[in-house]
Amino acid sequence: MLNNRILAVFKREVKERVISKGFIFMTILLPVFMFGIIGIQVLLMKEGSTKYNIIIISESQELTKKLENEFKNTDAVKDSTLRPSFDTMSQEDFKNFLRSKKQEILDEKITGVFYIPNSALKDKKVEYYSKTPQNRRLSELLNRPINKVLIDTYFSNRALSIEELNFARQGIDVTGFKVSKDEGFAEAGYGSLILTYLFTFLLYMSLLMMGQMIMQSVIEEKSSRIVEVILSSVSSKELMIGKILGSGVTGLLQMAIWLSPVIMVASTTWFVLPPEVSISLSTFQIVYFLLNFFLGLVIFLGLFATVGAIFDNPQDAQSGLWPVMLLIIIPFFIAFSMIENPNSVIAKISSFVPFANIIVMPARMTIAEVPVWELLTSLVISVLTLLAIFPLAGKIYRIGILRTGKKPKWSEVIKWLKYKY
Amino acid sequence: MYALEVKNLTKKFDSLVAVDHASFEVPEGSIFGLIGRNGAGKTTTIRMMMGIYMPDEGEVNLRGVKVGQEFKNRVGYLPEERGLYKKMKVQDTLYYFAELKGKTGRDVHKKANEYLKRFELYDRRLSKVEDLSKGNQQKLQFIATVLHDPDFVILDEPFSGLDPVNTNLLKDIILEMKERGKVIIFSTHLMDFAEKLCDHLAMIDHGKIILKGKLSEIKAKYAQKNVSLTYEGDISFLKGHPIIEKIENYGNTTGIRVKEPEQAQALLKMLVDRGIVIKKFDANDISLQEIFIELAGTEGNGFKEVKNA
Repeated sequence: MLNNRILAVFKREVKERVISKGFIFMTILLPVFMFGIIGIQVLLMKEGSTKYNIIIISESQELTKKLENEFKNTDAVKDSTLRPSFDTMSQEDFKNFLRSKKQEILDEKITGVFYIPNSALKDKKVEYYSKTPQNRRLSELLNRPINKVLIDTYFSNRALSIEELNFARQGIDVTGFKVSKDEGFAEAGYGSLILTYLFTFLLYMSLLMMGQMIMQSVIEEKSSRIVEVILSSVSSKELMIGKILGSGVTGLLQMAIWLSPVIMVASTTWFVLPPEVSISLSTFQIVYFLLNFFLGLVIFLGLFATVGAIFDNPQDAQSGLWPVMLLIIIPFFIAFSMIENPNSVIAKISSFVPFANIIVMPARMTIAEVPVWELLTSLVISVLTLLAIFPLAGKIYRIGILRTGKKPKWSEVIKWLKYKY
Repeated sequence: MYALEVKNLTKKFDSLVAVDHASFEVPEGSIFGLIGRNGAGKTTTIRMMMGIYMPDEGEVNLRGVKVGQEFKNRVGYLPEERGLYKKMKVQDTLYYFAELKGKTGRDVHKKANEYLKRFELYDRRLSKVEDLSKGNQQKLQFIATVLHDPDFVILDEPFSGLDPVNTNLLKDIILEMKERGKVIIFSTHLMDFAEKLCDHLAMIDHGKIILKGKLSEIKAKYAQKNVSLTYEGDISFLKGHPIIEKIENYGNTTGIRVKEPEQAQALLKMLVDRGIVIKKFDANDISLQEIFIELAGTEGNGFKEVKNA
C-alpha cells in the first residue's frame, strides 16, 4: 500500500505540521493552560476571595450564646472568611429587623441573615435570607456549626454520654471504593475523574485541531490549484493517504507529548500526589488510549479532508463542517455526563456507536471497570468505521479537489458518489 | 508506432458531454498541438490523458500499452491554473516535485541548481515561494515541470498569463525538449502560437475532434483552393460566381475559396480584367485561424460553455 509517492507526501505533511507555529504553540501551551486552569481553581477554592457578613439571630438568649461560642472556633471565622454577628429577637421583631435591613442585603453589604426559631430545636428548620440563598460554599461553612448547636441543646437535658453525643453530632462521611476485578478494593479518589476529564478533553482538542489543520491544507491545495500538478504525479488516493498519515502521526506525537506528564505521574514515584488525587493508569490503558486515538484521528482526518475538498474557501468549509462537528461534540458531552453518572446507559451504548466510541470509551474506561473484550470491540468498531467511510470519503475527495466555483449543495455531493472518476 | 494514442475518449459531466469520442495520435518526437476554443474540451482531454479524470469511455495508450503510473512518472505536466505551496522554499519545492516523480538524491539537486542558475533564481533558492514575483513563480513552475527529465511534456494553455519574457523562455524550453527527442503536447486557443510551434495537431470543438494530422499536410490540403487577397476596388461581382465557393473577409485580407485548385489562375485573370488593384495575391496559403473558423464556425456560433469540473 505504501509507496515512494505516499511517503513523499507523508514527509512533506509531517514537516509542514511539526514545524508550524500553531503546532509548537499548542503542544507546549495546552498543558500549561490545563495546569493553569486547575491551579486557578485550587486558588479560588482556597482563597474563598469574598468575605461573608452573616447575621445570625435566634429566638432565645441561650441559643445565641451557644452559637456565638461555636462559631468562634470555626476555621472560617478564624481566618475571617466569615464575619458573623449575633442577636436575639422574637419572631415579630425579626420581621421588622429584616425589613429595615432589606436594602443592605440587596447591596450585598450583608451576605445573609439566619433566623433560628425555638421551634428549630424540635424540627431543625431554620430560615435563611439572602440575595443568593443557593451559595453552596456558604452553606458548607454554616450548616455544620448550627447543626451542632441544635444537637447539643436538644440533648443537653437528656442523659447521654459524650460518645453518644459525638456520634449524633457527626454527619456521615462517605469514602468511595472502586470495585475492580483485581487487587480487591482500591480507594478511589478524584484521580480517575481527573483522567476522565483529561482524556475527553485531549481527544476533543486534538481531533478538532488536527482536523482543522488538514482541512485548511486541503483547501489551500485546492484553491491554489497546486493539486492538479500533484495529481499529475500521484493518484488522489495516494495524496489522501499520505496527507492523513502525515497528520495522523503528527497528532500521535503531540498526544504522546501531552500525555507524558500523566504517564510519568502514574508510573513513577517522582511526584507524590495525595491519595485522593492519585492516578492509576495501566500500560494497557495507555496503549489502548493511543491506539484508539490514532484510529479515531485517522477517521476524523478523513472526514475533515473530505469537507475541505468539497469547498474551495475556508468560510464555506466552516459552515459545511457541522455534520463532522456534531460527531465530535455530542460524544464529548456524553463523556462528560458520565462524570455525574458513570453507569449511564447512553454512555454505555454510545461507547459502541461508530464515531462516538472514539471519545466515550476512553472516558468510560477510566471511570468504571470495562472488560477488555469491550475495549477491543470498540477498536474493531473503529476499524470497521474506517473501512466503511474511506471509499466514500476518497471518492468525494477525488471529485471535490478538482471542482471549483459554485458552492456545491449536499445533494450534489451525494450525486458525486455515482460518478465514474 | 505512435508515442501516444488517444482512442475514443469520452467524458460526461451530468448531461454535458465535455469530450465526445475523441481520437488522435501523437507521433514520436513531435510538438503536438491540441487546439480549440475555451471550453472546447481541451483540459478535460488532457486530464484524462494524465489519469486525473477517469474517462467514461475510451483509453490512452503509451506506445501500445495503456497508460498508468509509469506514464505519470515520465510526464512533466503544467496545468493551465498553476499553483505552488506558498510557504515552501524554492529549493524544497523543486525537490518535492521531483520526489513525487520518483527522483531523489544528488543528481536532482545538481540539476535543480543548474536550472535555477539558468533562470536567474539561484540566489532565491532559499526564499519562500510567496516571496517571489509572479514571473519568478512561473519560472519555478517551469523548472518543476521538467526537472525530472520527462519523456513527455504536457502543457495546458501554457502561454496564458505569461509575460513576454517568460513566453519566450517557455518557447525555448519547448524547442530544447524537442531537440532532445522529447514529445511535447500542448493545448491552446491561440492559433498563432500553434501555427508557429507545433508540427502535428488536433482540433477540438464541442468535445469532438474536427481535424487532426500533420500541420504542413493540413495546411497544404486546405490551402489548395484558397487565395489570400489584398486589394482595392469592388469585388462584389464574385459573389455567386460559378468558380467561387466562398468569400471570407478577415479585415486586411480576404480569403477566397475556389471550387477547383486550377481555378485560382482564372480568378486572378478575372480580377485584373475588372480593374481591381491587386496588392497581394497569395494562392495556396491559409492560416490555421482560417481553417479553424471554416471548420468550427465563428466565435459564438452555437458556442456552449463547457465547465472544467
